[in-house]
This record gives sequence, structure tokens and C-alpha cells, in this order.
Amino acid sequence: MTLTAHDSSQLEALRQDPALHESTYVHAVYDNIADHFSQTRYKPWPIIAAFLASLAPGSVGLDSGCGNGKYLPLDQEGKIMLLGMDRSIGLLAHAQRAGGKGREVVRGDAMRVCWRPEAFDFAISIATIHHLSTPERRQQAIEALLRSVSSTHGRVLIYVWATEQDELSKRTVPDDPERAGKKVQDVFVPWQKTAVKGKGKEGESGKQEVHQRYYHMFEKGELRGLVEQAGKSLGLQVLEGAEGAAMPGLQIVQEGWERSNWYVELLRHAPHR
Amino acid sequence: MVKLITHNLLCCHARGCNYPENFPLVFRDVTQLEVREADYNAEFLQKMMPRLEWKALVDTAKQLGDTSLPEELPEGEAMDEEFLKKLHHVLMEIHIEEGAMHCPKCDHKYPILQGIPNMLLAEHEIGR
Repeated sequence: MTLTAHDSSQLEALRQDPALHESTYVHAVYDNIADHFSQTRYKPWPIIAAFLASLAPGSVGLDSGCGNGKYLPLDQEGKIMLLGMDRSIGLLAHAQRAGGKGREVVRGDAMRVCWRPEAFDFAISIATIHHLSTPERRQQAIEALLRSVSSTHGRVLIYVWATEQDELSKRTVPDDPERAGKKVQDVFVPWQKTAVKGKGKEGESGKQEVHQRYYHMFEKGELRGLVEQAGKSLGLQVLEGAEGAAMPGLQIVQEGWERSNWYVELLRHAPHR
Repeated sequence: MVKLITHNLLCCHARGCNYPENFPLVFRDVTQLEVREADYNAEFLQKMMPRLEWKALVDTAKQLGDTSLPEELPEGEAMDEEFLKKLHHVLMEIHIEEGAMHCPKCDHKYPILQGIPNMLLAEHEIGR
């Protein structure tokens, strides 16, 4: 599947009104494809499952952009709790009963904090921030995650799609004609929705609906850069290791690339002394 | 399903509203409240309890007709199984399905439809 680069008028529209761009090419699309999408999203990724399994019993966390809620059941059989938040009401209807049990879900915006400050012990943001269409909005979403978790022990895990796709990925990111050796970053990713069976055959191919979703594909180093800026704007000192800091700190616990995604795990620290 | 554990986390985020004046949200026009049995997990309750805003939880439960929780968060021996079972019921088994939550400061209304609270704000309602 080849992703389509935005043409100049689409880029202009994005810059003029990023919220409208997301509303048209992210929120409306997910509401439309929610049922079909949900059938295809059930396998948790290993690093995320390991992260959730490593949390102390009694931890309460936020899944910001929970989609159909595939991570909500990974709650250590009730020893921790995950609260799902998404913008798409269609996806939330699935998340609400993820894993065959009632789940707590909230309709909300990944750039906003509608919780008590530092209310959560942890937060995950999996394949969500890449749907925001400007660097400022993506940074704001990271700030919202950091503000939602405890300043003394809050843990955050973020995953976004990478321009670097491996051979297992069915996606091809086109080269950027204006930047030699680079890929385009603002793209449409088609979602093929096959018509429901029994709706009658029209022609031999049946009815294929294609929905274009907006993605911002992340380059190497970009997620890290945004995290540093978000930390700085919240007055946090970004730390490489667990060394003490005089200021409230933000430790980068691990970062990397896995299966065509960039990820970063963060830990908030109280200042030493 | 809005359980009281979720309600205890939520705040108004409209322009000009800041913690703690924007908390707790006040339930109004609750037309559907359900009590549904949930799996009891003592370890979860004991360890998450310090994260609760206790007064907000007790007051909200009272508004919904449940007066089983003590005014003060129990410590030590008073945190027995009997207490934990009551806490479990209030936090995890009372569900608000239809109604609304209002900000105690600005009165902004967050509707709850089919168990899902809508915390989205319009652009003009957002402060930065």
C-alpha cells in the first residue's frame, strides 16, 4: 500500500486550519470505519504489554487515544486500572466492552487535560499523536500526557508511526521531492472498507469504500525532540539516566524503533533535596 | 459507564477553570444509574486509595444516595475487609449511564450518554 503525500493545496489547508483537517481526515474517518477497524485491531504489541505488566498493583493509568480499547484488558486481572480516552464515539462504543467486560471510557481530546493535575500513575499514547497535524499540536499532546501523571513517579509510553517502515509493513512512504534522501511526512493512509456481505453484488468487484486517514510520519529523532521541548516548556530537566536533578526531572527510560514505529518511555522525577 | 473512580479523576478544563475550584464535577439530571457487580480486588483498592480525593468521593456518593463511606479515610486496622468491600461497591459498582456532570465553578455541562461522558469543549470554551 502506497501512502499518498499531501499536495500543496492540502498542505495549505492543513496549515490554515489544522483542527478542521483532523476533524475531516481523522475523527470523521474513524467514526465511519470503527466497526471494521475494530475487527482488525486485537493484538497488543509486546513492548506495550511488557510495560503494562511491569506496573505496580494499584496503579491507575490513562490510555490517551485508546481506539477500540485493545490495551484496556491488560489490567493485570484488576490489579491496575486503565481509563480509555478517545475522540471517536464509534471506537469508544467498542472500547467500552473491550475483552468482554465493562471498561471505563471518556470522550476527550489528546491535547487537553480534563483530569486533576497529576491524577494518574501512568499514561500510554499508542498510535495517536501522529494524527495531530502540526508540531505545536503534537507537542501539546505530549505536554498533556506529562501533566496528567504524577510528578514524582509518573510513567509515560508513547508510540508513533515512523517514516522508516520495515519489510513486514505493507506501507510504502513516498520520497520527498523537495528534500533529497528524505521521506514525505504528511500523508494520507487509505483504509479499504469492504462492503458487508449480503448487500447485493454490484459489478464483479463488489463495493469497496476507501477512506483517507491523515498521518504525520515521524522521522528519526523527531519524537525525542518533541519530548525535550514538551519537558522544557513544563520546566522539567530532561535526564538521560536516573541521576539526580536539582529541578523536577523527566527521564528518558528507553527509546527506539520497533516494527515501523518510534517509541519512547518516560519517567517523571521529583527534584533531589 | 461512569464509575465513581473515574468521576474522582475528572475536572472541568474550560477557560478560567483551575484545580481545585473545578473539582469535583457535580452530577445532575441523572436519569439512569445502574449497580453492576464487579470483580473485587483488595490489593488494587488498598494501593490506589491514597490517590483518591476522599472528601469528593464521600460527598458524591452521598448525593447519589450511598452513605456507607466514613467521612475520614480510615487508617491501619480500620481499613478492614468490611470497609474495603464498601469502598469497592462505591468506586467500582455504581455506574451513571445517562445524565450530566457540571463544573462547580463555571457550571459547564459535560453530558453522559450511554455511559460515556463527553469531555470535549468547543474552541471558544478552551483557555490556554
